[in-house]
Order: sequence, then structure tokens, then C-alpha cells
Amino acid sequence: MTKYGWIKLFSIFVLIGILVAVCVVEDRLVITSLDRVNRFCYEIESAVEKNGGIVNGEVASLVDNLEYQWEKDESSLCFMVNHKSIEQLAVEIVRLKTYIDEEEPIEFYVSLDIIKNYVETFQHFMGASFHNIL
Amino acid sequence: MLTIVFRAVIIYAVVLCLYRLMGKRQLGEMQPFELVLTLIIADLATIPMAEVSVPVLHGIVPLLTLVVMHYFLTIFSKLSSKFSSFLSGKPVIVINPEGIDYKALKNLDISVDDVFEAIRGCGYFKIEQIQYAIMETNGKMSVLPKSSFAPVTVQDLNLQAEKSTIPITIISEGKINKDNLKNAKIDEMKVQEILKKAGVKKVKDVLLMTIDKAGTIYLQKFHEKYQTLQIKPLGQVQE
Repeated sequence: MTKYGWIKLFSIFVLIGILVAVCVVEDRLVITSLDRVNRFCYEIESAVEKNGGIVNGEVASLVDNLEYQWEKDESSLCFMVNHKSIEQLAVEIVRLKTYIDEEEPIEFYVSLDIIKNYVETFQHFMGASFHNIL
Repeated sequence: MLTIVFRAVIIYAVVLCLYRLMGKRQLGEMQPFELVLTLIIADLATIPMAEVSVPVLHGIVPLLTLVVMHYFLTIFSKLSSKFSSFLSGKPVIVINPEGIDYKALKNLDISVDDVFEAIRGCGYFKIEQIQYAIMETNGKMSVLPKSSFAPVTVQDLNLQAEKSTIPITIISEGKINKDNLKNAKIDEMKVQEILKKAGVKKVKDVLLMTIDKAGTIYLQKFHEKYQTLQIKPLGQVQE
């Protein structure tokens, strides 16, 4: 094989390496970020049940933490995932805060359910599976 | 807007690198699978460039995948002629000594007019001038004329011809090409000497200067008519 052939072969293996790395990093990043959001949702739910309502310091603090964490994760996810497909989460998290301020528990639960449902279905729609490929 | 500018720069650089990696065939005559690849690349590259919500990686990853696929397809088609003909097809003789092969035309789904157009492109205007015409896998027509219509060569005339040489560009648009100086096995001193002999004061006044193995120099100054000079044959000029 000529020198050019070796360089080309090397480049192809580098490209394959990049593709594998990107796929693995994306998968890990999405799973970790969404799992974290899911965990926060369950923590918020139990905090609401424990305190008997949405207007209390613990719930507000958990929602703030969720917002902070999601903003952090979202900036990394934007390298890998279409921004439009994850912007709904940020919108619902902001709504959670608004519903606490406005003392609207029903809407709060609706938003929380939307987030949970979104997290659960995201993998279903975006993960590598036979029906998604086709 | 600035985001789009940077995205365009990134995508352009990536596509350029990928085309370099795929080789020069992508720039000229393409096989069917290469044409498909080129079309898809063009489309893929534009999506993340204009759509800010789509990550650049969404454009780059499929591009890289296609290039890797193309590499392996090329390797397999080199290894197996059957695979190669499956991928690119086979050259088909459309004109033989008996005339147009209508069955071949039907198989290729081309008309007689298409054949005429292709042979005219090769410089022949009559079917009877052609011994064989072959439709290549890249869609181009190759024509072998009948010997009575073939262009006369020096060999046909039994003449002694000088060995052909490729002129080497020494100065282009006022700049000396140092790599070509090495190829021509001359130095800058010699170039200055030639310029002095031709009445040229500075290198930057020269639009083009070439030299061939026979020592023939083509020299043209900016906005002036060219002149040719003859020096001793270089002997060691690369052909």
C-alpha cells in the first residue's frame, strides 16, 4: 500500500472512532441528563406529598435545583440533540416555578407529568431501536 | 447570523476535507454510487448550516458515515469485480462494426439521438466513421474510429518527432515557483540571467515564464506580447 493509502486508511479509522465516540457520548449524555430530571421530578412529588402542598421552601428549592441542573445539562445536550426537541422541558420547568408562585397545584402537577412523560418517551423516540431506524 | 457564518465555515471545512479524503474522482467523472454520495452530501451539509436549532454534529455525523461507507464500498469494488459491476454497472458496446446495437440501447434506456449526441461530443458526426462506441459506467461515451477515419499520427507518417516535454512554470504572476525551479534543475541566478537577456528588469514584471526540456522559454510580461527564447537544452528537466 502506498503512503497515501495508509494515510487514507488511518483517516477512515479515525472517522470511525469519532463516529463511535459521538454515538456513545450522546447516548450517555442523554440518559444521564434525563435520568437526573426524572429523579428530580419524583423528589418534587414526594416533597409535595410530604409537605401537603406546593407552596413550601423544599419544593421551591427542588424546582430551582431542577432548573439549574437542566440549564447545565441542556447546554451540553445542545451539541448533540436538536434544540427544538428538548426546549419543551425548559418551558415546563419554568412553568413549575410560576405555578408555585401563583399557587396552582393542578397546573403544577400537569407540568410535572408532562416533564416525566417527556423524559420517559424521549428515549423511546430518539434512542437507537429498530422502529426508530425505519 | 454570526452563528450561521461560523456554522457555514465549519461545514465547508468538513466537506472540503471529506472530498479531499475521497479523492479527485468526486470532482470529475463519477460512478453512480459516487453521484448518489455527492447529492446526499450537498443536501446534508446545508441543513445544519441554515437551521440553528440543529447541532452541527447532526450534519457532520451522517457526512462522516457516508465517507466511511464510500471508503468500504470502494475497497470492496476493488476486491470483487462482481461487486464492482453491481455497484457501477459494466461498460456497454453500443456501436459495433455491424452498426448500432439496438438491444444495448434498450438495456441502457437511451435513444439513438443520445448516441448521436455522445459521438458528436467525441468529434465524430457519422456512425459509419465509428468502429466501436462504448458507454462507460460513468455515463461517458468512448469512441474508437475506423482506421480510415482515425487521426493521422507521426508514426503513421514515419516521421521523426522530437520527444514531447511538458513546460515547467518558473514564474507565474510575478512570483518564482521554487518547487518548479528544483524540477527544472535551474537556480534563481539562472532565471535572473534569462530575464536580463530578455530585457526584463524584475521578476514581478513577468506574467508567465515557462521552460521545457529542449530549453525553449516562453516569457510574457504583464500587458505585453510574449517572446520565446532558446537556451541550452536542460537535459534534466522533468517530463
